[in-house]
Amino acid sequence: MATTHQTAAPQVHSGVQPLRAGQGTSFLWRKLHSLLGIIPIGAFLLEHLLSNYEALKGPLAYAEQVKFLNSLPLVRVLEWAFIFLPILYHAFYGLYIWLRGKSNVVYYPWAGNWMYTAQRWTGMIAFFYIGYHVATQRFLGADLPHNPGMAFAKVQHELSNPLILAFYVISMIAICWHFAYGIWLFAAKWGITPGKTARKRFGYVCAAIGVLLCVMGLASIWAFVGPKYANAPANVPVSTLVAPAHAGSAFHLSSFQPAARS
Amino acid sequence: MAAPKIIVIGGGLAGLSAVIKIAEAGGNVDLFSIVPVKRSHSVCAQGGINAAKNLKGEGDTTWQHFDDTIYGGDFLANQTPVKGMCEAAPGIIDLLDRMGVPFNRTPEGLLDFRRFGGTLYHRTAFAGATTGQQLLYALDEQVRRHEAEGKVTKYEGWEFLSAVLDSKGVARGITAMNLRTMELRSFPADAIILATGGVGALFGKSTNSVVCTGSAQSAIFQQGAYYANGEFIQVHPTSIPGEDKLRLMSESARGEGGRVWVPRNPGDKRPVKQIPAAERFYFLEEWYPKYGNLVPRDVATRAIHKVVYELGLGIDGQPMVYLDLTHIDRATLDHKLGGILEIYEKFVGVDPHDEPMKIFPGMHYTMGGLWVDFDQMTNIPGIFAAGECEYQYHGANRLGANSLVSCIYGGFQAGPNALRYAKNLTAAEGDGGHAAELARQTEINNRLVRNDGNENPFRLWRELGQTMTEHATVTRYNKGLKVADQKIVELLDRYNKVNLSDRSQWANTSFAFARQLKNMLELSRTVVLGALQRDESRGAHYKPDFPERNDERFLKTSKASYTGSPEGPRIDYEDVDIQHIKPRPRRYDAAK
Amino acid sequence: MADRTVLFEIKRQASPDAPAVWEKFELPWRPGMNVISAMMEIAANPVTADGRETTPVTYDSNCLEEICGSCAMRINGKARMACSSLVDNLEQPIKVEPLTKFPLVRDLQVDRSVLFENLKAVKAWVPIDGTYDLGSGPRMFPQEQEVRYPLSNCISCTCCMEVCPQFNEATGFVGAATIAQVKLFNEHPSGKVLKEERLRALSGDGGIQECGYAQNCVEVCPKQLPLTDAISDISRDVLLQKAKDFLRG
Repeated sequence: MATTHQTAAPQVHSGVQPLRAGQGTSFLWRKLHSLLGIIPIGAFLLEHLLSNYEALKGPLAYAEQVKFLNSLPLVRVLEWAFIFLPILYHAFYGLYIWLRGKSNVVYYPWAGNWMYTAQRWTGMIAFFYIGYHVATQRFLGADLPHNPGMAFAKVQHELSNPLILAFYVISMIAICWHFAYGIWLFAAKWGITPGKTARKRFGYVCAAIGVLLCVMGLASIWAFVGPKYANAPANVPVSTLVAPAHAGSAFHLSSFQPAARS
Repeated sequence: MAAPKIIVIGGGLAGLSAVIKIAEAGGNVDLFSIVPVKRSHSVCAQGGINAAKNLKGEGDTTWQHFDDTIYGGDFLANQTPVKGMCEAAPGIIDLLDRMGVPFNRTPEGLLDFRRFGGTLYHRTAFAGATTGQQLLYALDEQVRRHEAEGKVTKYEGWEFLSAVLDSKGVARGITAMNLRTMELRSFPADAIILATGGVGALFGKSTNSVVCTGSAQSAIFQQGAYYANGEFIQVHPTSIPGEDKLRLMSESARGEGGRVWVPRNPGDKRPVKQIPAAERFYFLEEWYPKYGNLVPRDVATRAIHKVVYELGLGIDGQPMVYLDLTHIDRATLDHKLGGILEIYEKFVGVDPHDEPMKIFPGMHYTMGGLWVDFDQMTNIPGIFAAGECEYQYHGANRLGANSLVSCIYGGFQAGPNALRYAKNLTAAEGDGGHAAELARQTEINNRLVRNDGNENPFRLWRELGQTMTEHATVTRYNKGLKVADQKIVELLDRYNKVNLSDRSQWANTSFAFARQLKNMLELSRTVVLGALQRDESRGAHYKPDFPERNDERFLKTSKASYTGSPEGPRIDYEDVDIQHIKPRPRRYDAAK
Repeated sequence: MADRTVLFEIKRQASPDAPAVWEKFELPWRPGMNVISAMMEIAANPVTADGRETTPVTYDSNCLEEICGSCAMRINGKARMACSSLVDNLEQPIKVEPLTKFPLVRDLQVDRSVLFENLKAVKAWVPIDGTYDLGSGPRMFPQEQEVRYPLSNCISCTCCMEVCPQFNEATGFVGAATIAQVKLFNEHPSGKVLKEERLRALSGDGGIQECGYAQNCVEVCPKQLPLTDAISDISRDVLLQKAKDFLRG
């Protein structure tokens, strides 16, 4: 085969590599990230928001709830296995996902693209907030697992700073957004809602869930900063019962009843 | 002995069909294409593919398909290969179906068929209104499979320049140019198959794709191959006029019930939908009651020209007529014609569901092409041709939906025949002419790059297109054809003063275009001179001064051969194979 | 009207490592003009708006009727097909740039061969026994054809990949077009035979899991392919396949 002489010709750069068919483990890690966002993290979020809702019934009810949760068997194991580690993984892997995506919402300002971008920013807010929140409320200051009676006052004291209050409110909205859209994404990406109509309808469901959670969360914050329980005692005596009367499940309707007055 | 090496040039339906057959038979294929093969012009075919499967209880037969094709082609096609094609067509449809082409189906799950021009049978299988796309993809996928298995090597982004011929005139390979690096290279092969499609670019604007320049055919022609029936150019009756090209409006629009009309009063100022039926001139239905809107393309095209230019009935005095689908319900249209109606809406900005489309004939197809024998081999040993670039299956006029089947059938013939030829080929003497041919091509390139004139190749091309469209399409006069030939000679002369505004050696499109242009000019002369010398009217070739078919003098294939002299190509005539069906007058205003 | 002109700004780059420059062109307006016809006009008269001689623009194009998929580029910031971009519908000056996610060759021409490699990687074909006559194909009802046909309309223009925030060198994401083709072939009665292989292929690095569901693909697709539906369906199938593979060991 003959060929003509060539001077050094320009070279086309290499671009995006083709699919590595069947190779690697990123599928597993990505799906784990997605699943953890729903279970256990999403489930925990629900539990947490429901528990917080007890604050609306006053410092005593709130303390009872904190005590109940801390009395669960193997609570420290549960806490690490089902809360801290999943959140850490979800957060860091999520950051990794974010860093590898190239947002282009400036050029393509379409609804789905906005949501894609919002999911990353709300995740980031959630990441910082949760880090701060866990550090200050769980590990620093009053040791609530052993002094559940101090819970209400500790939070109230925290939220008395308007900057921190704002941080809480913003983060509450961001987290509810992230979770609600996360459920929608989960359903779409796991093929639970493969049709356009199904995705649209489920979108309304997710939006309703998000709004409901957000309202509940903000109401709980209001319980700490509103006038009703202003200047709550630093510590409230908690009943010595192993579990409060409504101990069933955090999801159980009875949790909403004013059990603390029993 | 190693498996023979076959080079296939062109990755449309014909080329890919040949590749698949060769790969399947254990041959070794290099596939050359200017564009990624999935973007070949076959993708544009819309309406469907003909095969007498007789699934509509009409008693259709392959003989009937054969007869329609020969009759539609005004008896100019050699009958034996056409018969073979029509007999193979049902099997080809089955094969395509097995490859996964999403053909439209009947409720029972069988293939659905529609009617097309030039026949009274429902014989056209279709996949929406994008049949060519679906067929091309099916073959592209099979070739990709062979490529993944290492049986096929693709050279996409390489343009064929010439065949390498040894001292005995036997093909030993090709030279090609990489359109990115501009590298020139020769590739050895035991046989070559040209499947390089149509010649739309000779006419400037046509329904063809940008790559359909006929450059490859012309190169081979200039190396000694005959070019047959070049004067037979199909002008499609319904195209959408555009600034950059003429976009096809498929015959399936009429196949599904579309009606062609103009207002009886050319000055009618009413909104089109308010013109009552009595004041609409459905001229095809009136003039050809039996076939109506589904007369063959040459007949429909001439009728539209007559209405516009002789009767002065074009819409608003413009060269346009209505193609009306608005009487058909939206769901049916979307189901059967969605793709093409979308094209109209996108490019014209009017919804054809609501308003009749404005259309006009546009250059569409060349029935003529490289002369081949019944084995698809040109007169140069070792060079085969298949698809639109050869002349064999359509005579003087192609029936709608016959091109896809002729491409695939041609490729299926050419592939195995080339392989058989290659297996019996004796080794070349010396380098088989590679070095000499590469040197010749290098010299052409060097001259072109250095050329210091004042002519822009794209402007020369525009002038060529205008001349060809004006004198060598629907209606031809010897006076006009002579003017056209003189014009081409003038353009060939001016071509010597082409000045490339881009002399770089990297993805230089004007350089590649300038090389194609030279070949276009040479090939245009075969079209014009072939038409000039054929003093009759037959199929798509219509001379008002010679309105009748003249079987005595011209029931013959014209064969142009390159002379290199200023007089242009020499045209010889060869008898047509009419052993199966006796020629009879071709009329569509009554039963045939 | 005779003097009406159209303003273009075209990003030029002579080679992959050459600096990019913007060139302005002022062209005579014609009815029905599209971006391609403007490029043709420039080729016939390669002079910029300020009267400087330049070279014809290098770009990919072929059919000019939005079916071959060649002429994808960024026009006024958005990926689309140049042939179906009518000048009258665009804000001027019309800014034309190459796609950004694919290696640049020259001017508006980029190398999109990665899509064809991806199609190979997922075995996007029906593995027929041979091309010899084996009788008619499998029966398929119109409903099945109606699922497959829209997917088979993909013209490989790569617009869906260009606009996808996840399609980039970091992820090596396969993109929506290939995923849709997997669905197309998995839905075919004999194409199904490779279903498991295709699903496993799509679970590899750069596979379907990289989708961020921004849904830009389905917004931009010039052929309106149901890309997000395909992604959802195939995601589920891949997941079930992986689960099956895991349980079967």
